[in-house]
Amino acid sequence: MTSSDPDVTLMLRVRDGDTEALRELIERHQRAVINTIHRAIGDAWEAEDLAQRVFLQVYRSSKRYKPTAKFTTWLFTITRNTILNEHRRRNRHPADSLDALQEPRDEDGAGWQAPDSNVRDPAQAAVERELQEKITQAIRELPEAQRTAVILCRYEGLSYEEIATVLGCSVSATKSLLHRARQTLKEKLRGYY
Amino acid sequence: MSCQRVRNQFDARLDGRLTASEQAAFDAHLIGCADCRSEWGAYSGVWQMLGRDEGIEPSIGFAERTLRRLNEPPVVVHGWAWGRPLRWAALAASIIALGVGAWSRHERMLDQKRAEVYARMRQADYLEDYDVIANLDKLKEDHSL
Repeated sequence: MTSSDPDVTLMLRVRDGDTEALRELIERHQRAVINTIHRAIGDAWEAEDLAQRVFLQVYRSSKRYKPTAKFTTWLFTITRNTILNEHRRRNRHPADSLDALQEPRDEDGAGWQAPDSNVRDPAQAAVERELQEKITQAIRELPEAQRTAVILCRYEGLSYEEIATVLGCSVSATKSLLHRARQTLKEKLRGYY
Repeated sequence: MSCQRVRNQFDARLDGRLTASEQAAFDAHLIGCADCRSEWGAYSGVWQMLGRDEGIEPSIGFAERTLRRLNEPPVVVHGWAWGRPLRWAALAASIIALGVGAWSRHERMLDQKRAEVYARMRQADYLEDYDVIANLDKLKEDHSL
């Protein structure tokens, strides 16, 4: 991996202590990291808190950083490990996770700010919101490796090879995970497509 | 192309990994096969539907808040790599401690028993009688031995 990758260039500057380079990395990847976590754990506030920890880990690991792979592969590996740690923590302290399930609500009850989808009809908006909740719930119920593979493939556009690196498995195992996940989602969301 | 082969290519087709000729053969099969067309519709439809989850936007100032945390100490994930072995070690130590305690108590009881028996033997005059010692009948009457 060469310095023609702008993320690698920025990361090498972070390694030298450049916090402005870190800011730029955060701004480039914050949405991807926050949403990867949010799709896995379901709470927007906690997703941001955990995303911050991901970037703090990036900073703390910067002295050991070597550009042997794409930066995003390394970033999503840290993200996945952070999610796994959070799941373990919730399993040890289930009472904490009950509080975490309370999503913040605004006055309209719309919850965390989603991008404007140009849906003007309130009834249609309600149907759309229900559908999105069904989708996120179905993804969240997948086994961890399948869920991670789906999120990284469908939403972050990672290749099989990159996903395999994040998951620590082979490319053929990654294909198998995706196939099983798609079959499961097809059954869970039957009637919605 | 057989239906099985086409269905085995669903993932590759979804992920854009078919060559141009493979894709042409795939599409041609779907045109002529209602079952595969229906299966493909379901398989690709759910994958497309996932795209309707557009995600959330980071809150304003996320980067700034993150940078302000740079100097805080790292979160200790309470030795998750050590937690389970430590718990097993503690359990093993407890069992060993209980075992040692029980054995020690048993030994003390045995010692006390022996002391009582020896005390009775010292007081038993018949132990100086050769006839008694020879047949041990008298000793058997003392169930303590």
